[in-house]
Amino acid sequence: MKNGSILLVEDNPDDEKLTLRALKKNNIANPVKVARDGQEALDYLFDDNQPLPAVVLLDLRLPKVSGLEVLKRMRADPVRKLVPVVILTSSKEESDLTNGYALGTNSYIRKPVDFEQFSETVRHLGMYWLVLNEAPPVGALEKA
Amino acid sequence: MTDTILLVEDNADDEKLTLRALQMNNTLNPVIIARDGAEALELLLGTEAQPFGLVLLDLRLPKVHGLTVLQRMRADPRTRLTPVVILTSSKEEADLVSGYAMGVNSYIRKPVDFHRFTEAVAKVGMYWLMLNEVPPPMSAPALAAAQP
Amino acid sequence: MQTYPTRPQAAPLALNVPLEQQLRERTAELEAARAELVDFAYSISHDLRAPLRSIVGFAKVIEEDYADRVDAEGRDALHRVRAAARKMAEQLDDMLKLSRVSRSELTREPVDLGDLAREIATELEAAAPRPGVVFDIAPGLVGWGDRRLLALLLQNLLGNAWKFTSAHASARIEIGVTSAAGEPAYFVRDDGAGFDMADARRLFNPFQRLHGTAEFPGTGIGLAIVRRIVQRHGGRVWAEGALEKGATFYFTLPGARIETQAPVREAALT
Repeated sequence: MKNGSILLVEDNPDDEKLTLRALKKNNIANPVKVARDGQEALDYLFDDNQPLPAVVLLDLRLPKVSGLEVLKRMRADPVRKLVPVVILTSSKEESDLTNGYALGTNSYIRKPVDFEQFSETVRHLGMYWLVLNEAPPVGALEKA
Repeated sequence: MTDTILLVEDNADDEKLTLRALQMNNTLNPVIIARDGAEALELLLGTEAQPFGLVLLDLRLPKVHGLTVLQRMRADPRTRLTPVVILTSSKEEADLVSGYAMGVNSYIRKPVDFHRFTEAVAKVGMYWLMLNEVPPPMSAPALAAAQP
Repeated sequence: MQTYPTRPQAAPLALNVPLEQQLRERTAELEAARAELVDFAYSISHDLRAPLRSIVGFAKVIEEDYADRVDAEGRDALHRVRAAARKMAEQLDDMLKLSRVSRSELTREPVDLGDLAREIATELEAAAPRPGVVFDIAPGLVGWGDRRLLALLLQNLLGNAWKFTSAHASARIEIGVTSAAGEPAYFVRDDGAGFDMADARRLFNPFQRLHGTAEFPGTGIGLAIVRRIVQRHGGRVWAEGALEKGATFYFTLPGARIETQAPVREAALT
């Protein structure tokens, strides 16, 4: 198990709790930082005292600053541009899919409505981005 | 986008293992193989180019390096959004950073252990072909509007 | 051979100008209200699904993490919570389906209803073979309308006919065209469970079911969808039936001048 952290950007407290639970149940013990709106997410990502996450799970419908805006600002920065982002949203809007990819998300996952599937999806996300995928090296990012 | 996979791999053993692994999920996706970077570019951007649902890209390739293939893919609207997973034995940090800088979706270091390798590829296939939402077709107007 | 007259044009009168304008404005208002309602139905059915996930999710949390503190009655209560949430999810999905019918664009063209019926019959038979069922599809059955919506309409009518004849070993499902009030009326008829004519008007209401879920599964949205589709085409839909003597569903698709080769059949139940 690699040591990267997750930044979960989620404004729905139930979804937050269920996501954290699904990770825990699947023995994914990596640290999770939760940001409850777009501004909090940006504050965390651009705080040089905080390590960059191995993956950002990004909801789109967020208060203060939207998910797409967070993504845009990340991609405009030479360091944050490298951080893997997975959009995790209940939106069924085609425009969100289009804009998400156009702005440079690594992956786009639609939150299943069904709870069992939702758990499964969180498990797959955790396993893929924290265990399988090689995240960009934090050290190199600091130098970049 | 289609569900055809492009496997860019010059090592015959790895090619075989990868194909087997992709079949493990019962995914019936067709797989096309390119054995060097030039062949890959031809298939992706050449005169008879076809869209791919996923590109598994080795880095150390004859003729054209994997990173150059990636760079050209991202420069062309036809392949700018195609999911690319670098699948390499390289341990170079520089490759890792460059891969992400050039817009790779995911970077996987090939496990040395043959079981782990097969497992990894199977998971990659499952993630990008079944879980991930397929990127929109390039004709979408928002794409043109959102050019970086 | 049937031909359909096009709608006569009313000659405009100078005296009617303010009335016509009122009519235009009223129609525009109505259209706007309708669109708003449709959008509302869509967004609400979409937005309500998230809390449903929470209901099911946290019911599971109790079941899993507090298993030792929940007795049989408690577990039963939790199962009911989850079953209700699942049912609600189904109904929301159905509402979404219904509102999509209202939101979608309509393109009209001649549609071979016989071909569509044959495709659907094949699918039904492939999913659950029933050798005793006979599909009688009139030849030359052509309608004027949106191909996708008409396919959905037939899926629902034929699906219902299939479902409500499932208690019988042998069944006959017929699709053809007849004449009603001087215009062609397409129909889908089955000889299955049928319904009491006293319930005829309720049939097309959303979630209205005349049978229990134990007898025949479903949430009761199919006929509401059928009615919405027919209304969007400017037609009428109605039903005739008798308990255990089958049901016939009629619909009209007014519009352009088209010729159907189908022989006009008797409307009455035999």
